[in-house]
Amino acid sequence: MDELIVQFAIEARELVQQASEDLLSLEANPRQRDSLESAFRAIHTLKGSVGLFDFGPMLGILHQAEDLLSQARAGKIVVDATLIDPLLAVIEWVDSSIEGISQTGRLSEAQEKQAPRLQRLVSGQMTERDAGETAPAPEAIPDWALSLQQRVPATDAAGNLIAIRYEPHPECFFNGDDPLATISHLSDLRHLALSLREPLPAPQDYDPFRCNLLIEAVSGGSLAEAEGVFRLIPDQVKLFTLAGALGEQAAAQPEVSADRSTDRQSTTMRIDSARIDKLVEIAGELITAKNGLVPLADEARSHGNGQLARRILAKHHEIERLIASLYSAVTQARMIPLEHTFRRFPRLVRETSARLGKVLDLIIEGESVEADREIVENLFEPLLHLIRNGLDHGIEPEADRLQQSKPARGCLLLRARQRGDQIEIEVADNGRGMDPQRVRAAAIDRGLVSEDQASALSDRDILQFVFASGFSTASSVSDLSGRGVGLDAVQSSVRRLGGTLQLQSTVGTGTSFTLQLPISFSMTQLMVVQVGDERYGIPISDVIETHKLPASAVQSIRAGKAFVLRNRTIPLLHLGELLQSQLPSAHSNDLKVLIVQAGEDQIGVAVDAIAERAETLTRPLAGLLQGLPGIAGTTLLGDGKVLLVLNMEELVK
Amino acid sequence: MTMSFSDGVINLSGKCGIDEAEALVSYLSSHPETVVDVAAATEIHTALWQALMMFRPTVSGSPISNSAAADLLPCLLDFLKQRSKATATNLRS
Repeated sequence: MDELIVQFAIEARELVQQASEDLLSLEANPRQRDSLESAFRAIHTLKGSVGLFDFGPMLGILHQAEDLLSQARAGKIVVDATLIDPLLAVIEWVDSSIEGISQTGRLSEAQEKQAPRLQRLVSGQMTERDAGETAPAPEAIPDWALSLQQRVPATDAAGNLIAIRYEPHPECFFNGDDPLATISHLSDLRHLALSLREPLPAPQDYDPFRCNLLIEAVSGGSLAEAEGVFRLIPDQVKLFTLAGALGEQAAAQPEVSADRSTDRQSTTMRIDSARIDKLVEIAGELITAKNGLVPLADEARSHGNGQLARRILAKHHEIERLIASLYSAVTQARMIPLEHTFRRFPRLVRETSARLGKVLDLIIEGESVEADREIVENLFEPLLHLIRNGLDHGIEPEADRLQQSKPARGCLLLRARQRGDQIEIEVADNGRGMDPQRVRAAAIDRGLVSEDQASALSDRDILQFVFASGFSTASSVSDLSGRGVGLDAVQSSVRRLGGTLQLQSTVGTGTSFTLQLPISFSMTQLMVVQVGDERYGIPISDVIETHKLPASAVQSIRAGKAFVLRNRTIPLLHLGELLQSQLPSAHSNDLKVLIVQAGEDQIGVAVDAIAERAETLTRPLAGLLQGLPGIAGTTLLGDGKVLLVLNMEELVK
Repeated sequence: MTMSFSDGVINLSGKCGIDEAEALVSYLSSHPETVVDVAAATEIHTALWQALMMFRPTVSGSPISNSAAADLLPCLLDFLKQRSKATATNLRS
């Protein structure tokens, strides 16, 4: 389905709603100036939207309606029923056309047939009453007949059809009735469906002689024939003639799927995002509340009531499962396509490239990939940085490109893909690439690395220095980028969203940045550890393993400590020292060590105790605490205490 | 004889009237894995169709074309297909 049509349908429904409300309030009080203004705006905007498509006569009709309202605004015509009735008729017509348009992308024939009547109405050639006589309203079709009609293939819809709903009497078998045999007597049965009137009883309660069927059918034969077949049981059968004209309408909407109900309720609805956030918040608090059941079970067990403890734990698991599905359902509701961010770029790129005098194509792929609203919206800044970077430093001027026998037009690629529960966004240009030698020189120049170290690093490693704060190799500062506040800012905002940023670049071929981001802020499993009197959470995903280490196994290496694990020497740090909260106590007994990954290396972090595991929703730090290194966020524990969640990789750096 | 049981298969043949309903239901309720073969049936009473809808055995065979049974079989299969889909959805949610 065309995204534009979908947007149109959503917007048009709102505008129709607005216009009809305004017109109705105007009808009640013709002097209501702001209703008049608002109705004019709604119809004007609607006309504008319709103008994007080819919906036959709709644009013209809306134009005339707008004209009428504009004359009323100018005081040239009075606001009364002769003005409002035709306008409401137009609005009603548009409203009933939207469904068909959103299905097929065009105005259905049945709706188009009404257009001349509306044209005459808005041009004041007749009143609604005359119009009503020329186009008699079709007899209301019962819902059941309408849904049956949609089940008949469109090609069969020519001529009259009889919709049949047959509910045999429960005791009918005793009268010698055989309902299915009866209905098979119809000469031209186009459709037949069976269903049970009441839900299935338990097998042992099933009464084989009680009829519980609902039979729905469409016959191509005459009404008289159907009446004849059912003449003995008219009370159990409903017949309805589906007129040929309606058949046409069905033919004009062949995309109506068979199981679609006939009500015109739209499947999307707009909700204030704050309400969804509230739901997410409540779901998060439920998780916390649920975590409180585990200590309760422990308490029950310590009082010697093991059975109660088990029952509490069983309930805990059940609630846990339900909360997880509730949580995934509400997070699903927060998902929006990346398009919301991506579609802002084409215009920006066009303007910027024109200013820089560079010609290039922006290729956007995967804009339909979805992620949490907050992630999608916060991606704009970092992506803008990367795109500007590519435009400014990456893509060469046309002359340079031709000299290097590259295509004259540069190319910027913005591509999103879903990878499991992550999204991967690539921002790539086919420009000049980054020169590791220049980065190396600049890094030494700025004292980020010594000359010896720099020469030992691979080109790939050297390139990572562009993420250092304030780093820039650009010789001139343009007004776009190059002031050295770029890539480090990008990296930190991507990290804040829980993602990573990687860089690949080849001189002469181009640069490519890859962002890996979570699709949503999901629940994390935390390991709660204790240092002194303080408790901290560590994402279990950060912990490779936990280890009990005899104090004698720790060796001092210069100022530091280390131990040997499976033939590897692993540096040992104390969490208390890392957090500068306390000095390690005298280690007379065994140490509890978490093995965590820090970059390429594994590091042992000693803690005083490893407490329970908790499943929580970690919130990013806000306000003053924002950007505090080593702290990933906070979460609430089952007992209502706030737990700081550590970012181990940042902490051990 | 219009209904016969053998090796976990119920064969319906010829004209199957309402008098078979009780036997069919009792067999189906005690043998849930039964296969019902309708290939030889020409007419099947509504009560029997309803029993098949209720117990949802595997239905096999296609009756001789132009028989009343052949006309009604697709409806039953449609119903069984929808039911199993609905049940699967219920289980998942």
